[in-house]
Amino acid sequence: MSELAFPYPIAEYGSEPYWAACNEERLVMQCCKACGNFRWQPAPLCVFCAHELYDWAPLSGRGRVYTWTVITHPVHPAAVALVPYVVVEVELAEQANLRMISNLIDCDAAAIEFGAAVTLAFTPHPNGQKLPVFRLA
Amino acid sequence: MESISNRTCIAGIGHTEYSRDSGRSELKLACEAIGAAIADAGLTPADIDGITKYTMDNNDPIDIARNLGIPALRYFAEVNYGGGGGPVGTIMLAAMAVATGQAKAVVAFRAMNERSGRGTPRFGQAATAPGAAGVASYLAPYGLFSPAQMVALAARRHMFLYGTQSHHFGEIAVTCRHHANMNPDAMMYGRPMDIADHQASRMIAEPLHLLDCCLETDGGAAVVITRADVAKDLRHPRVFIAGGGLGAGHWNHRSIVKDMDSKESESTVIAKHVFRDAGISQADIDVLFIYDHFTPLVLMAIEDFGFCKRGEGKDFVSNGRLRWPDGALPMNTSGGNLSEGYMHGMQNVIEAVRQLRGVARCQVKNARHAFVSAGNAVPTSAMILRNE
Repeated sequence: MSELAFPYPIAEYGSEPYWAACNEERLVMQCCKACGNFRWQPAPLCVFCAHELYDWAPLSGRGRVYTWTVITHPVHPAAVALVPYVVVEVELAEQANLRMISNLIDCDAAAIEFGAAVTLAFTPHPNGQKLPVFRLA
Repeated sequence: MESISNRTCIAGIGHTEYSRDSGRSELKLACEAIGAAIADAGLTPADIDGITKYTMDNNDPIDIARNLGIPALRYFAEVNYGGGGGPVGTIMLAAMAVATGQAKAVVAFRAMNERSGRGTPRFGQAATAPGAAGVASYLAPYGLFSPAQMVALAARRHMFLYGTQSHHFGEIAVTCRHHANMNPDAMMYGRPMDIADHQASRMIAEPLHLLDCCLETDGGAAVVITRADVAKDLRHPRVFIAGGGLGAGHWNHRSIVKDMDSKESESTVIAKHVFRDAGISQADIDVLFIYDHFTPLVLMAIEDFGFCKRGEGKDFVSNGRLRWPDGALPMNTSGGNLSEGYMHGMQNVIEAVRQLRGVARCQVKNARHAFVSAGNAVPTSAMILRNE
């Protein structure tokens, strides 16, 4: 594994299924068995209704650009070779305000617009873990 | 229920020089700043019986007490969330302790070698551990590390929703620099800056330019809090804590990717009770101290604390309103985190006290009420100070 890589995600209690599904190129999130809402970033209780039970449910990977930044100043050694790169907050199609942080890859930064449609892809971290990322549709 | 309003005072203020490399330990900086604040109040270390601190400050209250000759501590406590809890939350903890008799005179402080990195790691640099856990495990793999990068996401959303532009953010940076240039103690003294300089400064994370970001600083800053009746017999005219508190909501991400589409924020939570407790409205504030880590967050704080409506911040900060001496509501009159020194907001508290004592360099005439906020976009704190 290259030393010049962004940190890999450490799977923890509650987040292993999320990262395991990513390695199968599936985006899944906890979906509350009581109210049916998804939540990004695994949590022990539903952040909408505090219900304890949930399913790991698949998402389509379709979404829209909620906001983004083009990072030009590297603050991590691995960023030196990567700047400029695009960090995006994507609003997923399944639910209003269901948003996640990711990268927009293979894109012309000048072409990004609010509300632009995006589709899911997966890119491997040098340690082998696959990360969900997005492309402009 | 009895409110905290006007029962306590900030009786002493003290700070070290603000620099890029202090050349001494963080404990030495803390002792110097606290010692100066105690002396400013007209007290001695033997009079102090409590210390409150930022959770992330490296200094241990017991080390401070031992070095300064504080004989015994009856009270010690700390507040989390960095610059959000720190500069005001520590003071509110101290105020509650002295108001309820848990302590008689409490010091709140911040001391760090944040710029030189000798003790505290630089906030503008990413940790280089190979793996990231917790919240960072969903951000760091994508190269999202620093507060500036996270603020950039919220700033761009604000621009989209409300038509805010980079030069509106620049107005805040230029205002703080203007005030720093009248403050020989400021790190940016003698380095004037205008909007063109702001626009020409290099991009950090679009839309944030370098000059939208606060300084990194080595130094120490401290205040002493006593009961109001105790402060009456001390050295300076009294500066009362008229109201204050902490605020957070479930909409706060644990990171500072701020949710711009929520009508509520950590700041609106506080605004609901702090003005009521002080018995005044936003229009009664004479001098404003908004925690200035990043210029877009200053604009958002001004909106969410109710000085104007959401989306009106861009007009509110324009036309010199925040500039001393001619602006209607001068802000961060010693230069703030952006241009005086990044003491994690404690330097703004010190300047607010100077304003209400009537001894500030950029003195606002007849200043009676100061509003002081801590860092927003994380769980935060704010207070209103008033004089006699």
